[in-house]
Amino acid sequence: MIHASGLYKRYGDLVALDGVSFEIARGSVVGLLGPNGAGKSTTMKILTGTLVPDGGHATIDGRQVLPGDAESRRAVGYLPESTPLYRSMRVDGYLDFVAGMLGLGRSERKREVARVIGACRIGIHAGRSIGALSKGYRQRVGLAQALLGDPQVLILDEPTSGLDPAEVVHMRELVKELGREKTVLLSTHVLSEIEATASRVIIVAGGQLVADGNPLQLARKKSARLILLMRLGVDDMGVTDEEIGRELYDAAGVKEILDVSDLGGGVKRCAMRVERSVGSDSLQGEPVAELVAARVVKRGWHVSELSWEGLDFEAAFLELVEAHRASREAQA
Amino acid sequence: MRGLVAILRREFASRIDSASALVVTLVFAVVAQGLFFLLGHPVGSLQLPSFWEGRTASLQVVFAWLPLLFVGFVPALTMAAWADERAAGTEELLLAWPVSGAKAVVAKFLGVWLFLGLALLITVVPLALVVASLGDLDWNVVWCGLFGAFLLGGACAAIGLFLSALFREQLAAYLASVLVLGLLWVGGLLVPSLPPEWAEFVYYASPYAHFFDSAARGILDARDLVYHGTLMTAGLTANTLLVEGRRWK
Repeated sequence: MIHASGLYKRYGDLVALDGVSFEIARGSVVGLLGPNGAGKSTTMKILTGTLVPDGGHATIDGRQVLPGDAESRRAVGYLPESTPLYRSMRVDGYLDFVAGMLGLGRSERKREVARVIGACRIGIHAGRSIGALSKGYRQRVGLAQALLGDPQVLILDEPTSGLDPAEVVHMRELVKELGREKTVLLSTHVLSEIEATASRVIIVAGGQLVADGNPLQLARKKSARLILLMRLGVDDMGVTDEEIGRELYDAAGVKEILDVSDLGGGVKRCAMRVERSVGSDSLQGEPVAELVAARVVKRGWHVSELSWEGLDFEAAFLELVEAHRASREAQA
Repeated sequence: MRGLVAILRREFASRIDSASALVVTLVFAVVAQGLFFLLGHPVGSLQLPSFWEGRTASLQVVFAWLPLLFVGFVPALTMAAWADERAAGTEELLLAWPVSGAKAVVAKFLGVWLFLGLALLITVVPLALVVASLGDLDWNVVWCGLFGAFLLGGACAAIGLFLSALFREQLAAYLASVLVLGLLWVGGLLVPSLPPEWAEFVYYASPYAHFFDSAARGILDARDLVYHGTLMTAGLTANTLLVEGRRWK
């Protein structure tokens, strides 16, 4: 759906993007992460046709993004950083204007405006001036304009920036909901937001691609110790803690049993240190947990909770970015 | 085409809805009418008495003032058109929507030009009605003069819009436009004092040759259409290159 190949962009002496390539399939939410000046916004601007790269190219749904090509731009809904809007306009008038920019006829415009007003829950403010809205509602209006024309690709540059916690939660829900049908590329500085909404993260630093993968996998690769926690229902089977420990230890990928304790009512709490990766990554990025769970279920025990301890995506992100910076400094 | 119409409507409506644009238009109309009735045109080689003093059924005084009034009025209409888009960041969205930079430029120009046309009608038609009620007004000259003023306003608007795209601040765009349009007007005033080889060039480059000495006197000349058309095309082309060029920056 989105294809970026060797994107290169220079602002004067500053190289903003240096050969960034990635592909994003239809129907997924992908986070674009990086420190300030990493090249996130430049990448997004190139994908939306507002900037032309000095090298490489981008395609949306098979069409190359070119300044003169209206079709590739029609396929993309874009919410730029800081949500620029015509504040003197009314919400419904603004959305009608944007629908007109997309080339929609009068009846289509009316239908589309009503649809996005409903989707972004801004109906009660439809008749108000945009300038009179709170930051959260302005952000929703920005998202609503991006949804007009039902584009298959949404590019959202820091959609939760400056929102209060309740509005952040709402925006995340909205993005997750949209990600079920559309391809969403969102950039943010808030790492927890990526963990909460995106199934994949692309990390850029200094204009280069540093990492690309599942946030959990990236965290797992960079975490010093991987601890898998499990709550196990063994009912009244007369199973001892030692027996559970042995069973878990024999599971593929388990390196050490740290604790098996009785929580009462036939429920056991188990903690084990596991390997970074076992088998194929096709098991939703959690092969070890899947394998351990499958083994205990085979014994007739019930897994009531399975979680990771010590997975720190933030630390992994910082380590990746720092390592990239150090390697570039060494090269220089 | 729908994108162009959407921008045109927004540009026109934003001026109709803007209190400051309406106040500026009101000032333009009141000043033009005040000059016509009370002061006349005692500037440069073109000395005309006021309407009450001269008692002539003609709108020459107001047409003589229009080039100078446009120097202050047109930049007030154009200054925000691009400078505001840049300051608010909306230019980025404008370039992301499926409308080319050239269409956006033309649409903004048409929005401003239509509003200017409306302002001209509001200013000149009441004057013409008053004069016609008191004397034998030649309406052909009035309509011809209005058409010429509309063309001149379009040329000024194209220049003002281009200069607006150069700046982020409305005030800077306004001052730059006043300076450029003012130089055009002053050039016409200086013609009698210039050496003959310069005087002819400056005269033909100034609005006097292509408005006051032709359309304002009821003469439609193809050279005037070429003059105004060239200024509009140059302004809009430069504006388009500037806006589209930002994609490559």
